[in-house]
Formats: sequence, C-alpha cells, structure tokens
Amino acid sequence: MKRLWRWLIPVAVLPVLALLAYGFKVSPRDIPSPLVGRPAPAFALATLDGSPLSLEGHRGKVVVVNFWASWCYPACYEEAPVLERNWRGYRARGVVVVGVDIQDKREAAEKFVADFGLTFPVAQDLKGTVSVDYGVYGVPETFFVDRKGQIRVKHVGAVTDDVFRATVDRLLAEPSAP
Amino acid sequence: MTADLGYGMTLVALGLAVYGSIAAGAGARTGRLALVESAQHAAVGVFVLVTTCFALLTYAFLTFDFSVRYVATNTNLGTPFYYRITGVWGALEGSIILWSWMLALYTIILIVRHREGARELYPWALATMLGILAFFLLVMTVAAPPFQRQVPVPADGRGLNPLLEDTGMITHPVALYLGFTGFTVPFAFAMAALITGRIGDTWLALTRRWTIVAWYFLSLGLLIGGWWSYHVLGWGGYWAWDPVENAAFMPWLTGTAFLHSVMIQERRRMLRLWNISLVILTFGLTLFGTFLTRSGVIASVHAFTQGSIGVLFLSFLGLVLLSALGLVAWRWEAIRSEGELDSVVSRESAFLLNNVLLVAAAFTVFFGTVFPLLSEAVRGVKVSVGAPFFNQVNIPLFLSLVFLMGVGPLIAWRRASLDNLTRNFLWPVALGIVAAAAAFALGVRSVLAALTFATTVFVAVTIAVDFTRATRSRLRLGESLLPAMGRLLLRHNRRYGGFVVHLGILIIALGVMGSHAWSVQTETTLHRGEAAELAGYRVRFDGLTAVEESNHLKVVGAFTVSNGKPLGVLRPAKKFYPQEQAPIAYVDYRLGLREDLYLVLGDFARDGSQATIKLQVNRLVSWIWIGGLVLTLGAALAILPERHKSA
Amino acid sequence: MNNNRRHKFIAGGLVIAAALGYMIYAGVTQSAVYFVTPAELQAAPVPGKAYRLGGMVVPGSLKWEPKSLDLSFTLSDGTATVPVRHKGTPPDLFGEGRGAVLEGSWTADGYFKANLIMAKHSEEYKAPHDQNQAGYRELIKTLRGEGR
Repeated sequence: MKRLWRWLIPVAVLPVLALLAYGFKVSPRDIPSPLVGRPAPAFALATLDGSPLSLEGHRGKVVVVNFWASWCYPACYEEAPVLERNWRGYRARGVVVVGVDIQDKREAAEKFVADFGLTFPVAQDLKGTVSVDYGVYGVPETFFVDRKGQIRVKHVGAVTDDVFRATVDRLLAEPSAP
Repeated sequence: MTADLGYGMTLVALGLAVYGSIAAGAGARTGRLALVESAQHAAVGVFVLVTTCFALLTYAFLTFDFSVRYVATNTNLGTPFYYRITGVWGALEGSIILWSWMLALYTIILIVRHREGARELYPWALATMLGILAFFLLVMTVAAPPFQRQVPVPADGRGLNPLLEDTGMITHPVALYLGFTGFTVPFAFAMAALITGRIGDTWLALTRRWTIVAWYFLSLGLLIGGWWSYHVLGWGGYWAWDPVENAAFMPWLTGTAFLHSVMIQERRRMLRLWNISLVILTFGLTLFGTFLTRSGVIASVHAFTQGSIGVLFLSFLGLVLLSALGLVAWRWEAIRSEGELDSVVSRESAFLLNNVLLVAAAFTVFFGTVFPLLSEAVRGVKVSVGAPFFNQVNIPLFLSLVFLMGVGPLIAWRRASLDNLTRNFLWPVALGIVAAAAAFALGVRSVLAALTFATTVFVAVTIAVDFTRATRSRLRLGESLLPAMGRLLLRHNRRYGGFVVHLGILIIALGVMGSHAWSVQTETTLHRGEAAELAGYRVRFDGLTAVEESNHLKVVGAFTVSNGKPLGVLRPAKKFYPQEQAPIAYVDYRLGLREDLYLVLGDFARDGSQATIKLQVNRLVSWIWIGGLVLTLGAALAILPERHKSA
Repeated sequence: MNNNRRHKFIAGGLVIAAALGYMIYAGVTQSAVYFVTPAELQAAPVPGKAYRLGGMVVPGSLKWEPKSLDLSFTLSDGTATVPVRHKGTPPDLFGEGRGAVLEGSWTADGYFKANLIMAKHSEEYKAPHDQNQAGYRELIKTLRGEGR
C-alpha cells in the first residue's frame, strides 16, 4: 500500500493542468457595442466604379458591412479572401457583403480590390461619417445586419469562415420584416 | 525564397533533433557509443540550422523583406536600423527562434563540456536536451512559423511596437531567455540521474555552474525588466505583479531554493528527493512561464497573441511534469536520503527553512496568478487579486528570507552550540537592534521600514564578522592585509561570491523598501511659466515643441527643475506612431542615489499653453540597480574555477 | 529518521502550511477585485466593494477638467450605463467610443469612483492611419508656430 502513495506525486499535477486547460475556454475578447440590437445607421455612398451604394437598397437581405483599409495589415489581408469567398457562396441566398474603405487613398483601395479580386460592392467613406455613425475605432470591424435592418453582431478583427457562416446562417433562418 | 528556405531549414532541424534525441537515448540504453556520437553530430547540425534561420530572419528584417509575414508585422520602412535587429525577437515567432537558438547553443556547450566526464549521465542528458529542443522546433514549424509568406506583399509593414524601441529590448529578453533555457541543463541531468539510477551527487556537481549561470541571467533579466518598466512605461514603478512578471519570478524563487539546497546535499547527503523535485519544478515553471505569455489564458499587459500555441505548450508541460515526476515515483526508494537532521538550530535547518519560505513564496505567486481561473472554474465568479495580495503575503516571507541570509552562512552544521551562536550573532543582533532604534530616532515610523533596516544591518554585520575573522586569521599567519583579503576571496570564491550576492540582495531590499515607504507623487496642470512643487523640488513648465522622427512624431515638453539650485531641464515626451491607436508617453527623469525625480507628460493643450503632468519623487530606487551590479560581481566570483579546497 | 523527530517535522510543516494558508486567505479576501459589467453592477451595487468594471466609454459623455484633474464619463455595455469619476489624467489609449477597464468602488452617492483606468488594447486593431496623421501634423504645425 505504501508503495502506491508515491504515485500520487505525478497524479497531483493533473488538477493543475486541468485548471490551466479550463483557461482556454474562458478568454473572451469581446467589447460590448452599444449598437448591437439597434437599427443599422443608414448610409449613401458611391462604389469605386461609380454606382450608388446604400443600406436601404438592400433592405430585406442579410447585410454584412465590413470596414477595412489597405494599410490595415495583417487582419484585412487575412479576411479579404474570406469575405470574397463567402460573398460568392451566399449571394444567391439573399446576403450582400458591403465593403467600406476608411481613411485610404483611392489608388491604394483600388489596388487592394484588384489584388484580392473582390467582386462585392466596395465604397470609400471619404467624409468619415459612416465610420463615426457605426462607432468604428479600428479596422477591421464587421457588422452583421439582419433582414429587418438591425445590427445583430459586431465582429472585431479579421472575420473567419466559421464566424461568417455561423452568423449569416443564423440570420438567414429568421423571417424578414412583415 | 527566403520564406521557403527558412521553413525548409526549420523542418530539417526538427527532424535532426528528433533523430538525435532518440539516438542518444538508444545509445545510452545499449551502450553503443556510435549512436551517441551520431546524436552529437545531429545536435551540431541543429545548431547550425537554427543559427542560419536566425541569420536569415535578421537579414530579412534588415532588407525590409515584407514578403515574410513576420517582417511585415514587426517593422516598417521607418524602423531604425538597430531596432530592425532587436525586432527579430520582439514578437512571438521570433521569441521562439531565440529560445530554440539558446537551447541549441547550450546543447553544444553541454556536449563539449561533459561528453568526457560523465559517461553514464551524459547520453541521457543529451537525449533530454534534444527532445526539448525538438519540441520548440515543433512549435516553430507548426504553431508559430517565423517564415510564413505574405501574399500579396504589402508596400509597407506595420512597425515594431513602440514600447519595444528601447535599449531594454535588446537585453531584457536575451537575459531572461538565457536564464530560462539555462535551467534546462540541470533538468536534463536530473532526468539522466533518475533514468540511470545514479541519483547520488554526480549530477549535482556537474550542474552547479550551470545553475548559477542560469540563476544569474534570470536575476539579470528580472532586474532589467524592472528597469525597463520604470523608465519606459511611465507609471513610476518597476514591478506590478503582472502575470507575465510572475511567470518569470516563480522559477527564480524555486531556482534560488535549489541553489541553496544543493549545498546541503553536497555536505550532508540530505534532501536528495527535495533537490530533484526542485529542479523539476523550476524547469516546469519556466515552461509554465512560456505557456502563460503565449496562450492568452490569463490577461496581461505583456501577453503575446493566442492561438494553438497555448495548447501545444500546455500539453508539453503536462508531458514533462508527468514523466519527470513519474520517474521520481519510480525511483522513490533509491532517492531517499541517508543523512538526518540533527537539530532545529543548525545550518541544515536554516537552509531548509530558506527553501520552505522560497517555495511558499513561489506558491503564493502561483496561486495569485491563477486565482482568476480558479475562482471562475469553481464559483463562476470572475475575481482577480492585485498587487496588495502579493505584497501582503510575500513581504513577511521575503523579510524572513533576508534574515536567514545572515543566519545560514555562519551557523554551525548539525547542531549549533550556544557558544557558536553568541560568537557569531551577538554583534549582528545588537547592531541590528541599534539600527532599528536609530531609524526610529531619525523619524522613521513605518514598522516595516524599521524591520527592514534592522534585518539588513544584521545580515551585513554577519558578513563583516565572517570576513574580518577570516582575514584576521590570515594576518596572524604573516600575510599582509590586501593580499590576505584577495586570497581569501579567490580561495573560497564560492563562499565569498555568495556573500557578495547576498550583499547585492541587501542593497536591493533597501531600495525596494525606500521606494515603497517614502516615495511621493502629485498630479497637476500647469500653464506656461507656472511651477509645481514636491519634496523640495520646483518644476516649471516652459513650453512644448514638436519634432518629426523617421517613424514617429514627437511632442516634447520642457520643464525647468530646481531644488534651491538649478538642476537642468527635463523633457518628457509623447510619441505618435502612425500604426498605433494612441500616443506613447516617454518619461524623463533625474536619477540620484537618494531619490529620483520622475516626470510624465499627460494631457496637453493643442496650442501648447498648458500641460498636465504627473510628478514623482521616488526614493532609493537607484539602489535596486546598484544592488543588481553587486549581484553580478558576486555571481562572477562564485563561478570562477576553484583553486583548491581549503577549510 | 526516528519517529519522534519525523512527527516533529510533520507538525512543523503543518504549522507552516497553515500559517501560509491563513495569510493567503486573508490576502485574497482583502484584495479580491470582482469583474463586473455595467449591467451586473447596476443590478446589485455594493458600496465599498472593490470592482473591476469593463465596458465602452459612451461617446459624448467624457468631461475632462485639466485644472482640477477631474475626469468623468459614462461606461456602457449596451444594456446599462454607469457614471464614473476619476482624479487624474486618463491613460493614452483611453477615449470615447473605446473600451476601458476600471478598478475602483461604487460610492453611496451613486457613481463609480475609479482608482485605476486601464484602456483596452487589441493587437488586431489599427488606428485610423491618415486621420491621426493629419491631426497630428496640424498639432505639430501649431506647436512649431508656438515654439519659436
């Protein structure tokens, strides 16, 4: 019996390891946004190729409003392919991805769009009013707007496939405004 | 091209390390020397590859190769030259390369030093080192690859975190990592001892110098970190009990305990189980430290970003602890010591108490650091404990440890007679009490400060007593004073090196006490021409100027300082880096032996007409850095090769 | 080791462990800081208890008086708000519309007295590049004009 007590020593390590592993579950990096649950602020911009772009024009669809910039490295570079990929995948289902480029030079924005082959509407927020309306204070930030025009999720940092799909699927499942 | 080449080399290095570890182990098991030699060659290969990777990455930094993602994230076209070099280890991936490189270097040194002298232990130690190196190379390949390609290549990079653009950035991580990785070697030898069953004193004797070197670098890294915090971060402090700071402090505490308890094992063959456990614990804590900084599990000012790396580190930590402690359990019978503790009043007891206190302090720091996790897991409530907790519990422990510093070296082995006690401690105790009384008479009212004074004087006098007595006996033999002292230091360099290190700790203790007990601060807004006063200093706001640097804009305030006589101008600044969210404040200060004047520029009016400043007079902080220098001298003295052992 | 001595040792060890345990317990209970959101705090505020409050600084609520060093603002988590007062310059990362973590206590007068403001810092955030540049260039220009 006495011989077995010594094996308690290595075993005693396990609870500590378990506690540390628990830490992986609980590190939230959310910053609450006062806008979540409120109507998405309207905007009226022009895309890089000149067509008008407004939130109203997409009422009834799930709108993913993505704030980005060409100097925003590495996160915007990481999420650009994700957004494009998912835009192509979901566009037929009533989802639109809108890119709002903030504080950027036109050539840089155009180069970014060309490099990544982005086909969703992209506009520059030249006056900066849209980013102020949305409370943007860094890039990238992405707002998921439901079919009724309410901001439901604000995602800070690069959007991943999982985040995009999970959120959009959830919003698509909801009924649109009566 | 660079990226692919670097990545390829990392993979090959990983393969070699794995092969070497297995070969060394197999060679040890079967006794086939050829295998061990092959492992040695593999180790050399790994070292060459990792060095080349390091050089390649530095080259990429120096040439603004933004096709390497790590370079793009950590520099931009405006980063100055020297920070492009130190920036290599400024973020996660680079820090892993630095760690791996040091491990590889230590492995080579181990090979050179020990392949002849420690036939049985050496191959297993080599296998362990290579195994650990393989893990870090695995992290480099899988979780934090420094050579990831960045497509499309950005025109400009993001830039180095401005807080890292500092001389401390060159030295602090290097010293700290040399310390952390240094403890791998004693651990490797401990594993070798357990595996081979040669749990006597050989492994200890082999690792003595390694332990001192690792301990020294860890101490140095901690002190430089404190200095960096003090003169860059602008909060006027040098230690915040931040989880990452704690992560480096814990192995230091257990490492110090180990440093002392080996002396008991050498002399009396006691505490063998304790020593092996301590070494395992210390190494485990160094891994825990890396885990903490890189996993994002506990929020900290210092933390790097999270990712899969946390899982890797935790798994490895678990693997190491379980196997090492499993070996201990397996060899339990053989480890149990021969010697006995004769009396509570003896050097063995003093050292044992020293160890207990150090481990208790390490436990306290650990508990406080993981407490948020614990409370959330157990009660679902998010609670944290801050500096008050750590200070409250640790200060009595540390003060007792300082006291023991005076008792340990002088008290007799086995059993101290009353005569021995009076002969050694009468004067120190008396003078300690006198010091406390003097402090009280001079107006010191803090009990803690008075106690610290008394204890430091006590310890200092014990060192003086010992040194005078030893010198006097040499003088009696006909030597003259200075040669006698010199020869004493050199012949007994371990003992006197230790004394000098203790002196360094005393000076640090006084610095810490002074800064806690007697520092003052104030915050105020001044118009141009107005002055603030604190502790006899007069600080007048003269105006603001603006300067453009290569990668940032700087706003500097000019403040004329005087304390009766003019003391010059202080220029605290705010630097605006385009890639950062907000400006970074840079302190200006006037350091002195007795006190530091410390000035931070807070808010200011856009037209430069008014400025809000934080003014601090920090007392005795410089003693902390001076104590660090003394500590360095002591460690250097202790590592010197021994002349011959005389009584 | 004979039994008597071993017992003494174990007893000594237990005493030390108990003393340490007590010190830790006392330390924790005295300096524990509870993490709450504004909603949680408003639900059950306890005056005098040490809290760590995290939320967003509501745009338009920030008032900073340099002369008296009085800083006041409202912290929100989207559902509830907490009025906050602080003495001294806020840290550089602090601002309206940004996240912040405060340490302090709830006062009987109905506001949160913050002793420490820690602004949230995220590695993924990039500050608006040119806007700040433009603003700071203007600042430099004015200062240069003044500085002469």
